[in-house]
Amino acid sequence: MLRATLAFAYYKLKTRPEYFLSGFFLVVLSFLVLTPLVEIIRDALTYQSYDLAYRPEAVEGAFTTFHLERVFTGRLSKALFVKPMVNSLLVGVGVTVLGVVIGSILAFLLVRTDIAFRPFFGALAVVPYMMPSWVMALAWLVLFKNDRIGGAEGMLTYFFDIQPPDWISYGLVPIVICLALHYYAFAFLLMSGALMTVDSELEEAGAVAGMARWQRMVRITMPLLLPALGSAVVLTFIRSLGTFGTPALLGLPVRFFTLSTQIFNSLNARNSGDGFVLALVLVVMAAAFIYANTRILGVRKSFVTLTGKGFRQRPIALGVWRWPLTALVGLFIASSIFLPMILLLWESLVFTPGDYSFSNMTTYFWIGSGGDIDLASGEEGVLTNDRFLSALWNSIRLGVLAAGVNGLLGLLVGYAIVRTRGTTISKSLESISFAPYIFPSIALGAIYIGMFSTSYGPIPALYGTFFLLVMITVVKNLPFTSRTGIAAMHQIDKSLEEAARAQGIGWMKRMSKIIVPLSTSGIMAGMMLTFITAMRELSLIILLVTPSTQVLAGLIFGYNDQDQTQHAAAATLILVLIVIAVNILVRRSFGAASLMGLRQT
Amino acid sequence: MKRLQYGLSAVLVAGLLTATSAPATAAPVPPEMDAWLKAAKLGPYDTGKENWAEIVKKAKAEGEVVVYSSSSRIAKIAKSFNALYPEIKVKGFDLGSAKTVEKAIREMEAEVYNVDVIFTGGAGAMINEMLNKNRLVNYVPDAYEALIPKALKEPLLVTRIEGMVFLYNGEAYPDAPPVKNIWELTEPKFRGKIAIKNPLASLSTLMSVGVYVQHADEMAAAYKRHTGKDIKLSPGIPNAGYEFWRRFLKNGAVIFKSGSKLARASGKKGQKKPLIGFTQMGKIVRNESKGYVNRILKDLDPVPMAIYPTYGAIARQAPHPNAAKVFIAYLLGSTKITKDTKLEKPYSKGKSLELLQGFAPYHEPGTVSARTDVPLAEGGELWNTMKGWISDPDFIWREAPKIRDFWTVESAS
Repeated sequence: MLRATLAFAYYKLKTRPEYFLSGFFLVVLSFLVLTPLVEIIRDALTYQSYDLAYRPEAVEGAFTTFHLERVFTGRLSKALFVKPMVNSLLVGVGVTVLGVVIGSILAFLLVRTDIAFRPFFGALAVVPYMMPSWVMALAWLVLFKNDRIGGAEGMLTYFFDIQPPDWISYGLVPIVICLALHYYAFAFLLMSGALMTVDSELEEAGAVAGMARWQRMVRITMPLLLPALGSAVVLTFIRSLGTFGTPALLGLPVRFFTLSTQIFNSLNARNSGDGFVLALVLVVMAAAFIYANTRILGVRKSFVTLTGKGFRQRPIALGVWRWPLTALVGLFIASSIFLPMILLLWESLVFTPGDYSFSNMTTYFWIGSGGDIDLASGEEGVLTNDRFLSALWNSIRLGVLAAGVNGLLGLLVGYAIVRTRGTTISKSLESISFAPYIFPSIALGAIYIGMFSTSYGPIPALYGTFFLLVMITVVKNLPFTSRTGIAAMHQIDKSLEEAARAQGIGWMKRMSKIIVPLSTSGIMAGMMLTFITAMRELSLIILLVTPSTQVLAGLIFGYNDQDQTQHAAAATLILVLIVIAVNILVRRSFGAASLMGLRQT
Repeated sequence: MKRLQYGLSAVLVAGLLTATSAPATAAPVPPEMDAWLKAAKLGPYDTGKENWAEIVKKAKAEGEVVVYSSSSRIAKIAKSFNALYPEIKVKGFDLGSAKTVEKAIREMEAEVYNVDVIFTGGAGAMINEMLNKNRLVNYVPDAYEALIPKALKEPLLVTRIEGMVFLYNGEAYPDAPPVKNIWELTEPKFRGKIAIKNPLASLSTLMSVGVYVQHADEMAAAYKRHTGKDIKLSPGIPNAGYEFWRRFLKNGAVIFKSGSKLARASGKKGQKKPLIGFTQMGKIVRNESKGYVNRILKDLDPVPMAIYPTYGAIARQAPHPNAAKVFIAYLLGSTKITKDTKLEKPYSKGKSLELLQGFAPYHEPGTVSARTDVPLAEGGELWNTMKGWISDPDFIWREAPKIRDFWTVESAS
């Protein structure tokens, strides 16, 4: 009997390994995603060693509501929680509204109208997404830095002798603008994807039925776009909640704290209990927002717009508005992509900060030998600088490794989910692979630092290792890659594999000869997304990097901290150019509309 | 009021003595650390009769020394050290004082023993969290034993002491300092024009902020001298020290992350209403290197200066213990220096560098070696004329969490 069972299990493993795959991933991912959550809840509710300084009589590890009191009810609450929470919400709402409006308008113009240079603009419109979100913040400072934090001021002051007021230089307004100019890409990608699938005939049918243009828009087009709009809102909102770099650069000088910068402060001041409570607040906020969104939009998700019937889209003629609108879009693209890059290049060439004259230009911060100890602490120019080169190498290594692991994982998880479709295990795996999505980046970093700084069960202490960076990057990007994996698997009919199995072809061979080749483009898209995120991510790993695992984004943040603005600018420019170059390369070689993978999420 | 004399006065030594005699019972040494101490001849196995030539030889064989430092000048030290000992590569990391301790503790908790030398301020954390928890071992090279007062080598070696002062722009206020009494900085005429380094990110600033809290009674007296009235504390504020910082923050203080940025903000030429900022006295040398016009509020009532120590110690289970020893000796400077040595500018070059070694980047106004035989830097004679309060490691260790919380509450805009 036992023997028969084992034999059957072996037969199953050999022929239908998807069940075993599902089970395996479920266990591993639960460990990587759920245990951290349990851990920080535990840490938030027990005394940490540092708390003993506040309460000498406390026992380390004993249960306490100390952190909850500090964060939610104590006299610190206003500073630690209430104000940062309000600020985070203001930033989140502001960025979401502005970003989604910009992205949607841009999508509409580029997809549905006869605006000029459509393919060119379309390709460029996603570039801001490839840049780190804080590039815009650095560029903003080059332009608008005032004398608030003293020293060298921005170009506005240099060229026009105008002191921008604090609210333009720092705080809520610039944070919202800079983040919106980055995150509009979500709305743009999702909305243009949805708009492409709306058949003009539906609108024309409305016209025949006597509906006015605005009625057709409101009654037909808008409802069809709602699911995409909902996703764009959720994605933008959650991303802007968890972002750290821009609020740090533009908020701290005027003491404008958000939850993310406050988490960073708490963990840095070694009040990790406070930091973890705040991280949980972010997770709960994100989860509540997703839940509300699915409740409102979820039921309407199933409009079928892709059919086998004739499909056409007629671009709306803009008439006299065509060229003015083209100019406007061109201006927008120029100011959100080219301007920041030009500003960074300029900043990197300035010798004495704040003096933007031609005679003050130097290549020192690119290729300088660093001999002069009084100049930028003797730091060599970036291209001759060991610290920079090692960070660059770490970043590339991290990007490639995480993308590789994620590509494979996305493929296998997608395969396991789709092939076991309908079972509990499939549903559980799908939910858990999506779970990291609700962890704002900075919160996930906080969780991992708490969990892996000492050995955990069979896992040795991972703090300070490169492996930890790869792991967190993989986990954070899993929702995207597993989505692309699932989408790719859906396109491959089961019958292909069944035919192969009937011929006695083994699983490995089926995977390598059928599944992998057919899903390459989807998987490449997922990998590309991971690569881009890994290269530019700051929020996720700022808490985890150590001097020897320093990556480019962290180094740039450090340069900026030390007021080495030219180094920061030069390094940022290199980072952006690498990401864009890799993106172009991948698009060329695989034809995959790389970033379009985002649409499937 | 205590007046600091040339080098290290008896008062200073006494101050640090009482400070460090706090009941600090160290935890028992774990066996793997004991084995390491034995192999490295450190702690209880340091016989006091070391063979320096052999240590240098071993250090060269180790080939590397990893330093976590609170000071960006670690880069300069690394360069000159490598010129003297090309066989020992310095990996110096400028992490700031809070992060230096934080990183070391996290790594050691993870049983990652990366770092050899910890070179930072943050007395409270260094003594209570690092030394007393076996995360550091105190090491004083034999040759320096006689040159350093007891209070500065026990329980932990101090490499230098530094002062924090208020800097103002000498071009904007050419005739007289803009402020005589510290409480003037909390008045409307300096609204938004005062600055400080973030004490939540800089332990040296935290210590200095704490110094004024420590001397709350004198702060209250200074208030009375300035206004003629007794100070009225805000609700929930325990003393005049906290009250000063509260009013300072409420008066629109700008919080800087780096002292260099602050010195630039206060000292750059051609400003109409420059900031007055609280930072390291040593930043005054940037007047020369960067053309700033900073001056020190040297007659400030009640005192113009808060003083704090910077430590240099070997990290637990350091992978390169001998290189760490050589590096610490280097930080203290050559033993060829005497009281009468004439050190010429620039200190970071030639003969001066040969003598000052790792102390060269700090040989400047506002910083004083722990050794009794190192002369003051040119321009630093001011040190002898300025009054100062000294940070008490025990006080700051007890008070730091409260100061942090206070700062978090009061600095939220």
